[in-house]
Amino acid sequence: MSESPALRVKSACKTYERSDAPALLPTSFEVARGEFVSLVGPSGCGKSTLLGMIAGLIAPDSGAVEALGRPVTGPGDGRAIVFQDAALFPWLTVSHNVEYGLRAHGVPKAERRERVREALAMVRLEDVGGKHPYELSGGMRQRASIARALVMQPEILLMDEPFSALDAQTRTILSDELQRIWLETRPAVVFVTHNLIEAAFLSDTVHLLSSGPGRIVKTYDIDLPRPRDEADPVLLDLRHDMLDRLRAEVDDAAGQRAQVAEVTAL
Amino acid sequence: MSTATGGGERGASRVARGAGAVALGLLRKSWFVILIIAVWWVVSATGVVDPYKLPAPGDVLSTLGTLFTERALLEDLGATLLRLVEGWAIGVVAGVLLGLLTGGSTFLEDGIRPVIAGLQAVPTIAFLPLAILWFGFNGTAVLAITAFGTFKPMALATYGAMHQISPTLLMAGRALGAKGLFMQRTLIFPAILPSLVTGLKMGWSFAWRALMAAEIVVTGAAGLGGVLELGREIGAIDVVMAVILVILVVGIVTEQLFFTRLERWVNRRWGLVGAR
Repeated sequence: MSESPALRVKSACKTYERSDAPALLPTSFEVARGEFVSLVGPSGCGKSTLLGMIAGLIAPDSGAVEALGRPVTGPGDGRAIVFQDAALFPWLTVSHNVEYGLRAHGVPKAERRERVREALAMVRLEDVGGKHPYELSGGMRQRASIARALVMQPEILLMDEPFSALDAQTRTILSDELQRIWLETRPAVVFVTHNLIEAAFLSDTVHLLSSGPGRIVKTYDIDLPRPRDEADPVLLDLRHDMLDRLRAEVDDAAGQRAQVAEVTAL
Repeated sequence: MSTATGGGERGASRVARGAGAVALGLLRKSWFVILIIAVWWVVSATGVVDPYKLPAPGDVLSTLGTLFTERALLEDLGATLLRLVEGWAIGVVAGVLLGLLTGGSTFLEDGIRPVIAGLQAVPTIAFLPLAILWFGFNGTAVLAITAFGTFKPMALATYGAMHQISPTLLMAGRALGAKGLFMQRTLIFPAILPSLVTGLKMGWSFAWRALMAAEIVVTGAAGLGGVLELGREIGAIDVVMAVILVILVVGIVTEQLFFTRLERWVNRRWGLVGAR
């Protein structure tokens, strides 16, 4: 029996209104069930557009996205999202934030309570369930946001630069925690970041994207045993390689623009 | 023993200093009011202005007392406040419901919002003759005008607030499976509540204005506006000024005591202030 992959992106592309350059050229890739995939690249490389399409929040101009064998037409349906700024509901306590998706899906109260407790324990926030988001630090807010996604028991977890607003230390701690949580729950993950070492550390597969126009320029398979250590020299080498590749792309793009400028000057 | 007495003395002086600070703070905020009353008193005492045009502050105060004891001004005040709360509540519910139900659809909002914005440009009191023809020369017409005066800014405030909701918050809600009425009730409504509370305050002052204007015209039923108009008819300027004083105090008290506190509470509860 061949099970459909978690995600299948088929020639999805996007050009935004009032912009002549495509945000994303036709792009295809697959994410296997339980696989951790990162989309990495500089701003404007289309990685967030790509994630938005997978989430069902942005419609591709052409091409298609399939999740768990079904075409993506909207958000939800086995996919949960963690946003960069946590996007917690400020008027709800942490527990109620985590409970929100279960309420929206009509899960009975007793089961809700149990699942919220589990999710909060998973991100180590058992003690702050009664607090409001403004009482938490940035790192704790992002933990709560991860719990709010995990409580849905998603088969696919989408994360849009979840740690980029945090200080370096908190970021390191949280990416360690994310590795642990992923090993315990094993959803397929699509992780968007501009942090190369973070991507290499967490991922089975890293898609390197470049801007102007956005596209995948290289794919890295990272076959290292887990749990991993961010200080692993292999990861540092990988980071160098990715960085070189990105530099070359940026130089290329700059060269092309310079050529265009020369031509139009004549 | 002696140390205890010493502590008591220090405590007493601290209380005295505290009271001094409070008095100073009050003075800083009220010096201009005191100045106005002083000038008023001097002008009326010197007799430069005819007392029929400007009665002395003391006379106005004693008239106010007489109004409460002999003409049952309390009853008029009660009737006016009841009408104000009723009209305001009807306007708030209608305005917020309209905003919530039509603000989610571009088609509905594009059609309805400009009409309400246009109506808002017309002083509510201009609709009083219409209300009298519809409801009669009575309290119902006044109530309708008060409700209408509240309804317009509340609907507009609701539209405005809905456009202010963070798109990420909406996306988060949709991604978690919220839609339809559940979304309206658990996400849209709480998300706009802080701006709505500001709108409530504005709606209250619009209601208060519309109500006073309407009561001065429709004088049949009990109400402050009726007393004001009666004072004009019999040329009793002290009555007119006493009632204006009551209207002023009611406006300040409701705004400061109720709405400012409500606003502060909502903002704290929603994490808009108090974040570390």
